[in-house]
Amino acid sequence: MKRVVLAGALLAAFPLAANAQAETYKVDPIHSFPHFGVDHFGVSTIWGRFDKMSGTFTIDRAAKKGSVELVIETATVTTGDTDKGSRPRTRDEHLRQADFFNVAEFPRMTYKSTNVKFNGDNPAEIEGQLTLLGVTKPVTIKLDRWTCKDHPMSKKPMCGGNASGSFKRTDFGMKYGTPALGDEIRLMINFEGYKE
Amino acid sequence: MQELLTNPVIQSSAAPFLVGLVVASSLFPIRLAGLAAGAGFLAAVWMIGAFGFAPLTATRKIVVLGAAAPVLGVLADLAFKPTRATAPVLGVLFGAGSIWVFWSVLSQKPAAEGALLGAGIVALVLWTVSLTVSLQDRAVRAGAAGLFLGLGAGAGAVLGASALLGQYGLALGAACGAFLLLAMILGKRVVAGATFTLTASVAATLIAAGAMLLAKLPWTSLAALALIPLAVRLPLAEKSPAWIQAIVASLYALAPAAGAWALAWQSSRVP
Repeated sequence: MKRVVLAGALLAAFPLAANAQAETYKVDPIHSFPHFGVDHFGVSTIWGRFDKMSGTFTIDRAAKKGSVELVIETATVTTGDTDKGSRPRTRDEHLRQADFFNVAEFPRMTYKSTNVKFNGDNPAEIEGQLTLLGVTKPVTIKLDRWTCKDHPMSKKPMCGGNASGSFKRTDFGMKYGTPALGDEIRLMINFEGYKE
Repeated sequence: MQELLTNPVIQSSAAPFLVGLVVASSLFPIRLAGLAAGAGFLAAVWMIGAFGFAPLTATRKIVVLGAAAPVLGVLADLAFKPTRATAPVLGVLFGAGSIWVFWSVLSQKPAAEGALLGAGIVALVLWTVSLTVSLQDRAVRAGAAGLFLGLGAGAGAVLGASALLGQYGLALGAACGAFLLLAMILGKRVVAGATFTLTASVAATLIAAGAMLLAKLPWTSLAALALIPLAVRLPLAEKSPAWIQAIVASLYALAPAAGAWALAWQSSRVP
């Protein structure tokens, strides 16, 4: 009888033990930025970024599971074009309007993982859903770099790395300027997060 | 040919003008020349490739009301006898509709700011629609008003950093210009009706309001545009040929439109 009770207690405690393996990290907004690149007239790639991204990611190395949830403030888009000169508006102002990110109507874009694939002990690829301009589509992000260690000064546990991916902006209804301005958007995300 | 059809200048000027001219000249014998405005506008939307309803964004709702306006206008012209109440009733109806169009934007703003902007847009639509629809029996004045409501909103939107809304407005102006051209040639045989006046005023005010909320067109430009249906009421030499009246009415309408552009340009100069 004692053995049955013990086994029951162990079974009951197992999910807690498994859950204890999952670590949650909060995205550090001053060291995490999503960058994007788009073809300009078939000549060069214009790079820009969003200055404000928040979110969390979890990792369970034992179960080889993880998750990511990111929120990007679309009004923080910048391509470095801030001086309008003789033009009525800068490119960054135009990017915020209805032709592109339509920030008044869609102030945030989000990314939520649906599956994280591991390569050995490290996460390697994230499948998820990107919601942009009110449209949700699957986007896969590859982790090009992944490191976990203690912060050299504060000694707080942290994880971070670089991720990349791509999607077609017209899939999300952002049609302005295509095909002269590229349809394919390249993503490069550098991120760091502190353990909660 | 494909290159021509994808050229933004063609999409927002020549194409809607031609569509408007074909529609107006085909349908004027049955008093539906006013469908030129809606046909040209919707042709441009189609060419730009912006027909789509999911998700139903504010810009797409502008197209929905822009398409509903000529339908309601035809109904008002053919099914009901025009009364003094027609213009204000349609103004109230589309004023309320403007809240639906911009609700997704207004509802995200602080309550006081959202309420103020919403009230302003309703007032603008009500005022412009009422005054423009009441020009339904005066094709030349209505045509001049439509021409510069469209061009005013379109060029204003471009200066306010929205090329898409700019294209919509310019296309509307071009289509109204086609109607006006026919009215210049045929005079009183061309009827504007609510079909024309409702479409021109609803689409133009919503485009301008969209350029204010979704881009950077200043509200002062919208106020200037609202003077257009008043300006075309200035005296015309009624006995002069229709083409002369059309030119004079267009000059009247040009003044507030130019004011709207100047205000938009001035606001773009602010660092």
